[in-house]
Amino acid sequence: MKKVLIGGIGNVLLGDDGVGPYVVRLLAACYEFDEGVEVADLGTPALDLIDQISAKDAVILIDSIMTEATPGTITLYRKADIMCHHPAVRMDPHSPALVDTLLSADFFGVAPADLLLVGITYGSFDAGCNLSPPVKASLDQALAEVLRELDRLGVEYRCRKHPAELGIWWTAAEKMEFPLAT
Amino acid sequence: MANRITIDPITRIEGHLRIDVEVDNYAVSNAWASCTMWRGIENILRGRDPRDAWLFTQRFCGVCTTVHAMASVRAVEDALKLEVPLNAQYIRNLILIAHALHDHIVHFYQLSALDWVDILQIPKADPAATAKLAESLSPWTRNSRNEFKAAQDRVNAVASSGQLGIFMNGYWGHPAMRLSPEVNLLAFTHYVQALEYQRKALQVVGILGSKTPHIQNLTVGGVANAIDLDSPSALGMAGLENIRVLLDEVVRFINEVYFVDVCAVAAMYPDWFKIGSGVKNYLAVPDLPLDSAGTAYDLPGGYIVNGNIAGVHPFKTASDKDFREAVSEDVTHAYYQGEKPLHPWVGETDPAFTGWNGEQKYSWVKAPRFNGQPMQVGPLAQVLIGYAQGHPLTRKYADLAIGKVGAIGGIHVTPEMLHSTLGRHAARAIRAAMLAELAQKHWQLLADNIAKGDYTVHNQPVFSSGEVEGVGTHEAPRGTLSHWIVIKDEKIKNYQAVVPSTWNASPRDRSGAHGPYEASLLHTPLARPEEPLEVLRTVHSFDPCMACACHAFDPSGREIAKVKVL
Repeated sequence: MKKVLIGGIGNVLLGDDGVGPYVVRLLAACYEFDEGVEVADLGTPALDLIDQISAKDAVILIDSIMTEATPGTITLYRKADIMCHHPAVRMDPHSPALVDTLLSADFFGVAPADLLLVGITYGSFDAGCNLSPPVKASLDQALAEVLRELDRLGVEYRCRKHPAELGIWWTAAEKMEFPLAT
Repeated sequence: MANRITIDPITRIEGHLRIDVEVDNYAVSNAWASCTMWRGIENILRGRDPRDAWLFTQRFCGVCTTVHAMASVRAVEDALKLEVPLNAQYIRNLILIAHALHDHIVHFYQLSALDWVDILQIPKADPAATAKLAESLSPWTRNSRNEFKAAQDRVNAVASSGQLGIFMNGYWGHPAMRLSPEVNLLAFTHYVQALEYQRKALQVVGILGSKTPHIQNLTVGGVANAIDLDSPSALGMAGLENIRVLLDEVVRFINEVYFVDVCAVAAMYPDWFKIGSGVKNYLAVPDLPLDSAGTAYDLPGGYIVNGNIAGVHPFKTASDKDFREAVSEDVTHAYYQGEKPLHPWVGETDPAFTGWNGEQKYSWVKAPRFNGQPMQVGPLAQVLIGYAQGHPLTRKYADLAIGKVGAIGGIHVTPEMLHSTLGRHAARAIRAAMLAELAQKHWQLLADNIAKGDYTVHNQPVFSSGEVEGVGTHEAPRGTLSHWIVIKDEKIKNYQAVVPSTWNASPRDRSGAHGPYEASLLHTPLARPEEPLEVLRTVHSFDPCMACACHAFDPSGREIAKVKVL
């Protein structure tokens, strides 16, 4: 049985930065997974992410990204695409970003063999609990990318007959939509 | 002629600390601390149910989630004059202690040790000599030659590959690095081991809080942990025993490794007891309540003005009148609208961004003031305030540290020397040792209270119509945290969080008085201004945290940091 983490990263109080937690809660509401799969809203964990990703066979992270592309554009990054970046000077505990986490985990010998970052280009990081329309419109595709990666890894998942509670408590009452119903 | 240096980490994270210093003749002559992102998160809380506020506030910061949850429920309880059952106090205290121990370990080893430890000296160390040295300092059983050899091999592998990876941005070989190869190896080996022990501390938070990050067990009026000695799904004997075993291991690491390492490193950098003092006004709030009403505490609070330790003013409670009436925030040099300093209950968070201008507005951090004065907060403040009051537990570990540094370094150390960069590190280690002892005490208090048959964990909050105000405080790992709430007709009318790093990273105020980071950097000597290691040492000694980062990944950034010398 493969040990897999599907982790949503980001601050749910800062607009589109909440997209990672949003996607993992959609996933958890709509699908059931193999026993070895952990689906987690990780917030903005900085170095604590080392503990979360260690001892996993594969990790799938969903996070907002800053690119020149149109908001809502999805870009995929593999472990090597991230680890080629330089670590930041550590001014405070937030400074160690994903790059640092992976480089540290690698040095300590606990980095996962497989890592995929599903990045969603942000529209706005203004304080607030809702996603911008273009980022919201990209949710189905983000979800599909996660499922495609699970297929690639040979990890099983099943569509729930009746979706569980969405659990996106930070937004105003959301109407439950059932994405990718098949 | 003065040079300007800007240290602005390009972190792939919005909202971080930026430091600007002017350097004149190899010493800092002026300094500015600023935060690069607007928060304004408090505005989200207006109009919401006060019972839900903690769920939102624990998302302020991804590193210190629990502390903002705790301060929030305490603020509502203060407003409602609601007591908290004993079990809930002990469970909360254990969570706060475990989180703090995790945080202090991570801070020293992951975020600041490599300011003092030179990785590239490690290949020159003799593991056997390191083991002999380590044995003379501590009974720690993982100080064997084999452990040191294994850690050295890891560094050799990285160094010989030419790919320094996570270590590529250190100032290795800097003239301010002074440790022998053996002490470098000793500290580095513990850096590797620290990863395991910080995780154990976090597991305690996870067991009691149901989940980490973002604990789930809090509620206004207590906690939501069901206590049942026989049920595996509730908090019972098995859970308590798990926690006890984890705590024992963490406590041993604190006493035999972290505390000793800080003393040993400090003993070898005695100059740094004279550098980095800055603002000598100190503030700490009492914490770890011992009764339901919050009248007795295991950590003392109070304030000290102008370094006058003998003239310490104690606070009786965590929301003492002398505290709640003295706090205001000044926005003269912060990117906000407003003229006068405002008390947090009437505080405003309306942005007025101008771009960085050192003479005018230059930070998103407001300038909190206590009776109009800047205050330094954090473990140093807490230790000095406790020491001044003759608090036995503070004296026990402060005297132990002072004696140990003196013995290792062959130097005379006095409490006065704690007003310094190294003093902040020493105080954090002292506080960790105090908390380690208190972890075991509060575990026992909880176990004994449950054994008496008291399973109560919650008092029901009762709201009345009209307007009430409250303040919830917590002496967090980085210092005094306070959440200020105004409740009107069961809804949040205003909410302000005055966080520890706001006190310490404060910009100048209307009178031009520097905040603690800024003041501590003045006169710092710089051996190589283009490699400002000394600035990082002092800034890191505060354990800065610009609570509230966003976490976006920026695939374009390949720079390590912008260290700009003009």
